[in-house]
Amino acid sequence: MDPFIPIMVILPIASALFLNLLHKNDRTVKILAIVTALVLPIIPLLTGYGSHYFGGYAPLSQNSAIAQGLPSLITGTQLFIFHPAITYVFASAQKVMIFILGIVAFFAVFTALNETKKPSGVYAFLMFMGTASVIAILLSDDIFNLYVFFEIAALAQVGIVIASNVKHNYETALKYVILGNIAGPLLLLGIALLLGVTGNVNITDIIYSIKHGLVNPQNPVLLMALGLITFGWLYGSGLPPFHTIKSALYSKALPHGAALIQAFTVFMMVALGVIILRIFSYLPFSKMAIIAVSLLALVLSITMAIVQTDFKRILGYLALGELGYIGIGLGLGTTLGITAGLFQAVNEAIITAFLFIGFGTVLYKTRTSDTRKLGGMMFKNPRVALLVLLAGLAMAGVPPLNAFQSKLMLIQASLQAGVPELGIIMILLSIVTFMTFMKAFYTIYMRPKPPELVIHDYKIPKATIISLVAFLIICLILGLFPQIATSNLQTLASSLV
Amino acid sequence: MVLSAQLFSFFTAGSLIVIGIFAALFLDNLIKKIIGLAFIGDGVNLFIITMGYKPGGIVYIFLPNMTISNFAQTASYPLPFALVLTSIVIGASTLAVMLGLVIVLNKRHDSLSASKILGDERD
Amino acid sequence: MIEYIEYVLMLTTVLGAVIALIQRDLLKAAILTGIPGASLAFLYQFLLAPDVALTQAIVGSAIVPVFFALAVLRTRRMEE
Repeated sequence: MDPFIPIMVILPIASALFLNLLHKNDRTVKILAIVTALVLPIIPLLTGYGSHYFGGYAPLSQNSAIAQGLPSLITGTQLFIFHPAITYVFASAQKVMIFILGIVAFFAVFTALNETKKPSGVYAFLMFMGTASVIAILLSDDIFNLYVFFEIAALAQVGIVIASNVKHNYETALKYVILGNIAGPLLLLGIALLLGVTGNVNITDIIYSIKHGLVNPQNPVLLMALGLITFGWLYGSGLPPFHTIKSALYSKALPHGAALIQAFTVFMMVALGVIILRIFSYLPFSKMAIIAVSLLALVLSITMAIVQTDFKRILGYLALGELGYIGIGLGLGTTLGITAGLFQAVNEAIITAFLFIGFGTVLYKTRTSDTRKLGGMMFKNPRVALLVLLAGLAMAGVPPLNAFQSKLMLIQASLQAGVPELGIIMILLSIVTFMTFMKAFYTIYMRPKPPELVIHDYKIPKATIISLVAFLIICLILGLFPQIATSNLQTLASSLV
Repeated sequence: MVLSAQLFSFFTAGSLIVIGIFAALFLDNLIKKIIGLAFIGDGVNLFIITMGYKPGGIVYIFLPNMTISNFAQTASYPLPFALVLTSIVIGASTLAVMLGLVIVLNKRHDSLSASKILGDERD
Repeated sequence: MIEYIEYVLMLTTVLGAVIALIQRDLLKAAILTGIPGASLAFLYQFLLAPDVALTQAIVGSAIVPVFFALAVLRTRRMEE
């Protein structure tokens, strides 16, 4: 038991509460937010692997002091190994994902504090609260605890959008909460059905019950639970039919907010997808369903991206399209496929944050995000334009950047699993993604500046440039040495097969 | 009785969920939509409570004059009840967020109609 | 008669929900959401969950209707 495991969740929550109280004390807010954000990616590196049992209630089999005096009614049955406490599991895959989430959160907070005139304690509160809840979703081995943080993460995303002051943000936020209040209780109903069948909310114990015949695995109630949990998963990760509202949510947030929301979405999708695979992978069509939804997400999101005129909307749809790759990786169900999917998730979180913050500089200088009114940004700041172009290349999967490695792995996995069609579709859609990105890039940066466009003379903050360069460096490192991430992710992947 | 209280309670939970989803999807007034959403949450909570209920059982409080085996056989299952406590609070807080948004939107659009406020897709 | 009280409560829950939703006066609808809330609180008591019943009694029959009523008073009273 490593005491740092709960600290990963407690620290951002505590810091968020303080930031909310300290709102208007600008200096204090800035220092506290930066320090907390800096610590966030460092903690997972220092933490040892293991499980944390809240309240110290380890399973009886590991707790000999209590187990001694108990009757054989308890020690002789499965009650002996079941987990009585909320359990957080920290392993190598969680380490990579929480580290990357911490990095994205750090740069999002860093740019947010420097791009806005006054640092807002409330905004930082929302960002940290969301980060804490997504970290908890990644760690939690308790499906109800996961539901609670799922709701908090949804509310934090809505809060980030409400705080953005973009036109029509309240409408989008209300739509998102209303849909969330249909999807959230349905997810809870799915969890309730699992609890009703197995009598447990701990995922490891649920799997034990299903695998060892304590409950009938072909019970139709389990099917219904799968359906309801999948519905909650679709909502949380913005897969169809929720892709429209999710991309609207990105476009109504400020660029750093959108970067962070996208990281939340990616990791929420991975965490819930892994749980669906862990519990229900014995049902043959569960993987088929994941692949079908992911393909739909790929095709629908990318085709929607082509027709948009607002570059934030284009980016939102492209980012959601990338989620499809993760889903295909998970759905393939082989070790290589799942590793590739998880690696793609890590890359995706970094690259979309890179893109959102990069394109955010356009918004910062022109106060418009309509591609029809934009142009000629290249000549004002060519360095930022180059960085944004590199981000786009990274997303499309150009070597030596990171998404190349994960997409290559995905295609290899699809060939290995005997479905080369998926590989072909992925390559084609990757090309379409790149074309859509280049079209947006051309209209914003390269074509002549429309005469009515006003480019303000604000200097782009150093913090933004630093963040962009840092993201580029991470992309390069992961692209050149993918085994740093994949070797850690592989353990989780092989445990799922 | 032909129908046991537990079965009937499941039906009640189901009808609350269905009424709630109907109201959330098909009623135009935003306040009514949100009332519907509150009913979905209530329905799910009732469903979970009903799962933990044991017909003819006792409340899960261990009193000094009980034996362990007797308690284990007759007490209702407390885990779902613990979950519902959290779920009720989450429901109330999201409700507050939604109502706050509705108040702001009413000021801007001078209307509570969902088709007017949320209907057309703007960028 | 007392053994039927659970069924009566279930009936009032569903009927209260429907009645609240068919009001044209939103303030009435807001106050009427207290009926299913309070019935659920009693029902939880009969379903052997006294602690949940306490919470539901406060949240469902007092806080939630007051939230709705406040929202209605700050927006508009009649459904258009």
